[in-house]
Amino acid sequence: MEQVVYRIRRFDGEKEFWQEYSFAHEPNKTVLWGLLKIKETADPSLSFVAACRSAVCGACAVRVNGEAVLACETPLDALLGRFGATLVLEPLGNFPVIRDLVVDWEPKAVRLAEAKPWLMPREEFSAEAGCRQTQAEFKMINAQTNCILCGSCASECNKLSMGDDDFYEPFVYTKAGKFVADSRDGLAAEHLRPVLERGLWKCVHCQECVAKCPKRVAPAEDIAALRRESIRQGLTDNQGARHALAFAGDITNTGRLNETTMAVKTDGLLKSATRLPFALRLLRRGKLNPFHFPAPVEGIDGVRAIVKAAKEAKE
Amino acid sequence: MQIFDVLVIGSGGAGMRAALEAGTRGGLSVGLMTKMFPTRSATGMAQGGINGVLGNADPTDTVAKHIFDTVKGSDYLGDQDAIAFFCGQAAAAIREIDYYGVPFSRDAKGQIAQRNFGGQSAPRTCFSADKTGHVILHTMYEQCLKHGVKMLTDRQLLDLAVDGDGLCGVVALDIRTGRVVPVKAKAVVVATGGAGRMYWSRTTNPFTSTADGMAACFRAGIPLKDPEMVQFHPTGLAGTGILMSEASRAEGGYLYNNAGERFMVRYAPEKMELATRDLVSQAIETEIREGRGFGEGMNAYVLLDLRHLGREKILERLPGIRDLAITFEQVDPIEAPIPIRPSCHYTMGGVDVTDFRTGGTALAGLFAAGEAACVSIHGANRLGGNSLADIMVFGKCAGVGAADYAEAQGREAGGGALETKAAEWEARLAAAMARGGGSSVASIRDRLAEAMWNKVGIFRRGAEMAEAAAIVDGLTAEYERCAVGDDSRVFNTALVNYVELGNLLTMAKAVVLGAVNRTESRGCHLREDYPARDDVNFLKHTLVTLTGSQYELSYRPVVVTEHQPAERRY
Repeated sequence: MEQVVYRIRRFDGEKEFWQEYSFAHEPNKTVLWGLLKIKETADPSLSFVAACRSAVCGACAVRVNGEAVLACETPLDALLGRFGATLVLEPLGNFPVIRDLVVDWEPKAVRLAEAKPWLMPREEFSAEAGCRQTQAEFKMINAQTNCILCGSCASECNKLSMGDDDFYEPFVYTKAGKFVADSRDGLAAEHLRPVLERGLWKCVHCQECVAKCPKRVAPAEDIAALRRESIRQGLTDNQGARHALAFAGDITNTGRLNETTMAVKTDGLLKSATRLPFALRLLRRGKLNPFHFPAPVEGIDGVRAIVKAAKEAKE
Repeated sequence: MQIFDVLVIGSGGAGMRAALEAGTRGGLSVGLMTKMFPTRSATGMAQGGINGVLGNADPTDTVAKHIFDTVKGSDYLGDQDAIAFFCGQAAAAIREIDYYGVPFSRDAKGQIAQRNFGGQSAPRTCFSADKTGHVILHTMYEQCLKHGVKMLTDRQLLDLAVDGDGLCGVVALDIRTGRVVPVKAKAVVVATGGAGRMYWSRTTNPFTSTADGMAACFRAGIPLKDPEMVQFHPTGLAGTGILMSEASRAEGGYLYNNAGERFMVRYAPEKMELATRDLVSQAIETEIREGRGFGEGMNAYVLLDLRHLGREKILERLPGIRDLAITFEQVDPIEAPIPIRPSCHYTMGGVDVTDFRTGGTALAGLFAAGEAACVSIHGANRLGGNSLADIMVFGKCAGVGAADYAEAQGREAGGGALETKAAEWEARLAAAMARGGGSSVASIRDRLAEAMWNKVGIFRRGAEMAEAAAIVDGLTAEYERCAVGDDSRVFNTALVNYVELGNLLTMAKAVVLGAVNRTESRGCHLREDYPARDDVNFLKHTLVTLTGSQYELSYRPVVVTEHQPAERRY
């Protein structure tokens, strides 16, 4: 391969357009190297941001062929081997675009602040004496502290791409989860409440945030941990928790779901009633039988043993 | 026009610590201006740790030892009153940020873990794996969010505005709109970081370390102190200059030349790889020069070997280092040694701070902290782990200093000087954007870096530096006619790069001037034509001041209290 082509989705503040740039291939270079090459030798107007060029500042995340990556650490040769000589570069998804590959973080910072991402130290600690924490407790938060706020998880989040009214960027949950998990923090509920109010139970488990995080942070797992902790703290007066508890109850009791009672347990009788037309359609097609109360499946003891083991493993 | 009581420029550890301090006081309007998003700052790249005498790993450690290590590390160019103050505050600053939420690695008792670091007589470097700066930066950001500090992101500092009565505020480029905006402030804290990008590709610094605050203060008449003192970190990756933390040596890494020899035995027989950064950098470059390196010319290197530490320790203590080596040098340190070479790392010099307790400068209302400032506690060579401590201690001091000043200052500055300055810059930037022809910003920048690396790098000679001075002058003239290449008003990063290059040229000229005239070798400043330290003539700080268009040179004695200069051995 002698020439590499970047096909870039550009935006000048008013209109969007595509532009292709071609430059000579060199081995062992990165996506960012290519962008700098274009800016310095072909088109100074191509706009993107980068700072540390060592994968710790989070500035240079962009989408290459539909996947968010840190431009500075992503080897060009691997991408060229996978996609061929032309790469498609776009700004991160689920962000307002300012120009070309530059996205707007200001609204994200406002949303992040809503989750109160700061330590609320326990009373026995003080600014003068600092805190205590065991090595094991430190390990509980070490992974989440790797988040560099690059926005890759937000870019690829399938839930967020349906609108951000009822869901936060995945990194917001990671930040909240870090403090809930921090043994130095004494007010877990303060971190839980804002994320419970916006989307904690609405993650669709697609795992894109886990797959695309360049720092091996796992927001989906942090979301799961926040859910468990919210139930442990008795914050169960919400649709998501009720659904999870009903689900767990059904599995423990019979080894299978009871769709009829599930809706009532999750949404309450009143709200379930609004779904009556939907239920009637299901009935007509034979997908729902309100008079069927399933007996425990064969081998229910085994199912219950698994549920018990799973609970013990997490606590 | 935006108006603040306290305006902090720069969102690294020092800037955010200052903004936090001023912001939590109550009753003051505080702004934090940064040219990117706050967490992109160079602080986040600091890996190894933060120094303070907690006595967790070694109960016999004392503040007196930290003071002596720092004084000796500075090659006696640090001011001893400031160093004593700094070392006395460091432990409290660390406990305080533990309380703010910095996730420190812990010892078996649940206390903050501490490890050895270069040039220190006790294990006093606190850390969070090898991402200490990153977690401090993010914790500071979290605290700024908590306290509602007003953040002005995507704004490039252009100049301070001063009238007959004093400081009025700053003018900045709003990168989003392409407009020059005046911002009025009673007190300003400059915490814009270092100038490592003078050496462009041979630096560990981010693209943003371009001397913005140093140059702006210099143009406002505040001296630059000890600009010639530029630290080269011994272990930058050979290909890219990216930092391999000092933790890699502190945890027990070895340095080898092409004969398989641990060559530090000839330079620092006691401390070996754990000698100070200046000595290890000079040793590596000597090996390369004398043919005991690998590769040739700009591609030469020596090897950093971590393999004997074992897989477990590398994964536990140096995971970030390993990732960087794999990604950028295609080497897994568990299996193979890492090719490394010194890389410009830190600007010990900077804005002349005249009151270390407040970060105050010669201009009333103007405070400086962090790498942009020169207090001076680092003198001619900074110890690893002292910069994170510096930004926490002196960032806070500057926040207090600026807040006190703003409270005491009844006068609301006039807007005249701000408007005038803004109009000047608006015209200048418009002309630069409209200009065709001329050299590109990148071409001038690359030639500057080449001249600085080859002639004002680790080894220095008067004749070569005179050549460098002429090259910098030539490039400065070229810069006046250079092309930005983009006339958009929307997020014009080419225009930002143009402004940054102007600052780098300004700083580089001061670096060369200071270096040419310091006819001795001290710390990082190694004159081959003057190999000895000269305490009779040079136990003093260089001050470079702009008078009209002239760079004027003067000196100020170093503050020596209890430690008389002595021979420095490791």
